[in-house]
Amino acid sequence: MVTHHPDTRLLNEFASGSLPLAQSACVSVHLHFCERCRRQVNALQDMGAQMFDTLQPADVDEALLDGVLAHLDDDVPLTYASRAKEDESPVLVQRLMAGDYQDLRWSRINKALQIARLRTGDPDNEFALYHIKAGGSIPCHSHKGNELTLVLEGSFSDEEGVYQQGDFLMRDAEDVHTPTASRTADCICIGVLDAPIRFKPWNYRLLNPFLQLQAS
Amino acid sequence: MSELPPEDDPEMQAQASSQPNIKVNADGKRDDEWSQCLQVIAKERDRAAFARLFKHFAPLVKAFAMSGSPLAASHADELVQEVMLKVWQKADGYNPRKAAASTWIYTIARNCRTDMYRRLQKFDTPLAAEDIWVEQEEEEPFVAVQQRRNAVRVKEMLTQLPQEQAQILAKVYMEGKSHSEVAEDLELPLGTVKSRVRLAMQKLQVMTEQR
Repeated sequence: MVTHHPDTRLLNEFASGSLPLAQSACVSVHLHFCERCRRQVNALQDMGAQMFDTLQPADVDEALLDGVLAHLDDDVPLTYASRAKEDESPVLVQRLMAGDYQDLRWSRINKALQIARLRTGDPDNEFALYHIKAGGSIPCHSHKGNELTLVLEGSFSDEEGVYQQGDFLMRDAEDVHTPTASRTADCICIGVLDAPIRFKPWNYRLLNPFLQLQAS
Repeated sequence: MSELPPEDDPEMQAQASSQPNIKVNADGKRDDEWSQCLQVIAKERDRAAFARLFKHFAPLVKAFAMSGSPLAASHADELVQEVMLKVWQKADGYNPRKAAASTWIYTIARNCRTDMYRRLQKFDTPLAAEDIWVEQEEEEPFVAVQQRRNAVRVKEMLTQLPQEQAQILAKVYMEGKSHSEVAEDLELPLGTVKSRVRLAMQKLQVMTEQR
């Protein structure tokens, strides 16, 4: 069961369209697992729709309608399937991966941790998958900016709690934590960063170049 | 809704009928008209129905485009065309049980505006805004009914929000600003913006529980 959710600000900015692309993608994957937040987002969207509906209408040139009418018979561009069942893996992640977990280019950080970056096109945020071996930890780290985390498979825990599939976390610059995968299964998470991670122990400092922000 | 004309007031009614864009009532008489119109467009590919829908919604889409970032606002006509063409193309995906026509069109306008903004900023992305909105199969009929009921309630209560909350929501939704951009605009601390949004949501009963 999902017990950790995005906060009001994130859901509001998601629903109104101002949340950066990589962060929106992460929230969207949470919605795949969480009916409660789906309902919230729908309600938030209703608020926007209501404001839209009561806008002072702007003048529209007659020619605009003719322009659209002239294009009604154009071929409709192909779109990807945009419906999903809750027991399938999120469509959005499947699309970004364009294959299976083993097809991705994983960078090995240490024995327990591998990272694969996925291209979202967001110039300011990095969207990556973190694969933590069962019982393994991500080295103690802090960040300059925000870190969004979503559990895709397995579970992990840190100083503050245990996180299961679908759980969503946001950490800011002050948080220092050491996520550890459960002993029974590997854990795969989505991590979205808007500034590079900094690892605490001195021996990991050398690894930092691997973790420099790579937004794409 | 308190500001609506009483039905037995002929003068007010005359005024209402001379202004085609006025909201008639809260339980969606108008909305139903446009819902039906959309369904006719989907089933019969009726161009005259589409032209009627265009005349009502294109001015709203244009107003929405112009209240966004200056970059998107300078392409308002382009956005209107893009949104209205999408409405025609996607009409058969419209589900009247789930959403009012205006809600459905708003989501298309929001997605197109976001995409246009990213395009103008030369984002190279494999994702369109609508790809982020994955619909779940699950919605049972009563969930959909609940959703429409919520929408009607939001509509009623939005008019009763204090100005300081309504102003922030307008910036968030119509101008497309993040909470920190709104804070900067209004010279308010970010915490104040967040809490006013939260208060508004509670008042609108959008929040099901405290976070």
